[in-house]
Amino acid sequence: MEINPFEYLMNPHKRIYWIFLLSSLVVAFVFLKCHPKQKRIILSKKLWLHPSNLLDYGYFIFFIFFKVMVILPILMSAKEVALFVNITLLDQYGFVRIESFSYIQIMALFTLSVFILSDFTRYWLHRLLHFVPWLWEFHKVHHSAKVLNPLTFYRVHPVESLLFGLRYSLSIGLVAGVFIFLFGSLVGIYDILGVNLFAFMFSLLGSNLRHSHIKLGFGNIVERFLISPLQHQIHHSKNHVNTNFGGFLSTWDYLFGTLTLSKNTTNIKFGLEKMQMKNFQNLYGLLFSPFIAIYNQIKDKNFMLYFVTMCKLQRLKREQQ
Amino acid sequence: MRYLMAIVFLVVSIGVNAVGEKFFNQVIIANVVSAITNTELLIDSINQANSTSAKMQFGNLVSSWKKVETTYLLGDLNEDYLDTPRYIDIFHNNNEDIKSQLDLIINSDDALSSAMYKHSHKTINALEYILFTKNLPHQRVKNMALMITKSIKSYLSEILNGYKAHQSKFFESEQYASAILLNTLVGGTYKLKEWRVGDVAGLSKKFKNRPNNHRAEYAISGNSMNAIKAILATQAQVINSPDYQDFGDIARQFKASKEINQAISALNDSIVNASSMSEFDFINNKGKRLYQSTNRLMKSYYISLMDRLGFVSKVLDADGD
Ligand SMILES: [Zn+2]
Repeated sequence: MEINPFEYLMNPHKRIYWIFLLSSLVVAFVFLKCHPKQKRIILSKKLWLHPSNLLDYGYFIFFIFFKVMVILPILMSAKEVALFVNITLLDQYGFVRIESFSYIQIMALFTLSVFILSDFTRYWLHRLLHFVPWLWEFHKVHHSAKVLNPLTFYRVHPVESLLFGLRYSLSIGLVAGVFIFLFGSLVGIYDILGVNLFAFMFSLLGSNLRHSHIKLGFGNIVERFLISPLQHQIHHSKNHVNTNFGGFLSTWDYLFGTLTLSKNTTNIKFGLEKMQMKNFQNLYGLLFSPFIAIYNQIKDKNFMLYFVTMCKLQRLKREQQ
Repeated sequence: MRYLMAIVFLVVSIGVNAVGEKFFNQVIIANVVSAITNTELLIDSINQANSTSAKMQFGNLVSSWKKVETTYLLGDLNEDYLDTPRYIDIFHNNNEDIKSQLDLIINSDDALSSAMYKHSHKTINALEYILFTKNLPHQRVKNMALMITKSIKSYLSEILNGYKAHQSKFFESEQYASAILLNTLVGGTYKLKEWRVGDVAGLSKKFKNRPNNHRAEYAISGNSMNAIKAILATQAQVINSPDYQDFGDIARQFKASKEINQAISALNDSIVNASSMSEFDFINNKGKRLYQSTNRLMKSYYISLMDRLGFVSKVLDADGD
């Protein structure tokens, strides 16, 4: 596979596909027309050359190489999962073919199912990354960004990247396997440039502003269905970090009680607590500090266990004497 | 560059009319026409009460009907034709014991038109029973055989007219045409592997370790291998024919050479395995080999099918947040 940073700009499957960047730029332009006060920060050199952003740019280059050379080769594809699911269903239930749906209906149903299940698993993986202590150590890398820019999207620890890849293969493979079992090759997807219609449309709606300082909210009603850029920025804020886990849809946050609306949310400060921030100042820190933190956690736990056991042993000895 | 190439391929494939008219006429239509001819020859033999010739013509009809069945996609062109094959053939579509019902009809004095009121009484399976276990010169037997063969002929004619009436839908969209064609192949291969070989050889889930030659599709007349060979030969007409643009050529144009070559190799293996088999070989190693190669064939069809869903075989952006 070729390694080409521009591939990320030319591939519609990527967050920073040029059309998505352009649409975000247009949205940002309109937003700044209405809120001229914010222009000063957005256009400042200080923001774009902030050490956190500089690290993002550098990390992105590292990420491209690492992904092609290490992550992709070990990841199973959704196709393998789909094949496995389909064959398992065949073995279990025999051959089934539902003939009461039209081609158009099957395509529409599949397109929607893929989008919804994918967004659903994305929500839950993201939530787990926050609530499982050792996963949070890896996800901290992403939240250690002090300022945001579209490339912050790629400031993700390789372990997290691997988990998201796995999530993709499993959820897409599952839906595809079930649909192929039921409808065979009539399964298809409505797409724009190969991307799920819904995903493409929602990506156009300023997905690159999620990691930016453009405080664009969608209002109380829409934000119960769609995550606005500002809602994701709120997720990056120290005091609201355990809310707004959603990707495209905020329905999951709404249903599972983790939604924060953007209106009336003030005091947004990106990043982690000061003590933790110092571990994520460079490439080395981003890559290795999660492992060190986890190692320390285990060590502490083991030490505690050792300590408690020794105390008990001592007491036993004393009692025997 | 990739898009450009895809567009070029698309234009080229539309230009040569893909799995198009030539295939439709030379395979689908030609196979129905020859099946109709076979019914006419069979009707002649029955009229002459020539049992030997009728049995031979029945074998030819089995072979030509299986060819029609293997590429049967008329139901996808117009749903009125979804059930038509079931009026000709009830293999795995009917649990009732038609043998005893046919015996009753032969021994009764009721007018045939009312006695043979069920569709299942007029299928190729009923015809096999009549021709191979009853005495053809017997007037009532002869009349029954005639009635069945004429019924089969009329349904085949219906199929022929249906194809002609709805062929535009096949030519209209190449995507749809190849989808329904692939679906027919996948379904047919499952049934071949699981029902026609596995159930007999004791390798299917349903009859695991209980081989029994009597379960073969045409156990009474000894035409089961004949049927299987016809099915495999027809599949070769679809994916591996030098005479016209076939499904394999299309797959190659879309860079799925590896997948389609795997299918062709599995198909060739199956043809070789089947060619050395007699009616009684299902339950030995030869049957096992045929089961394995047809199983490989089915899987490779499923893989081709998944490759059509491009995004399923891709690992997307680690869409974390
Ligand atoms: Zn997060």
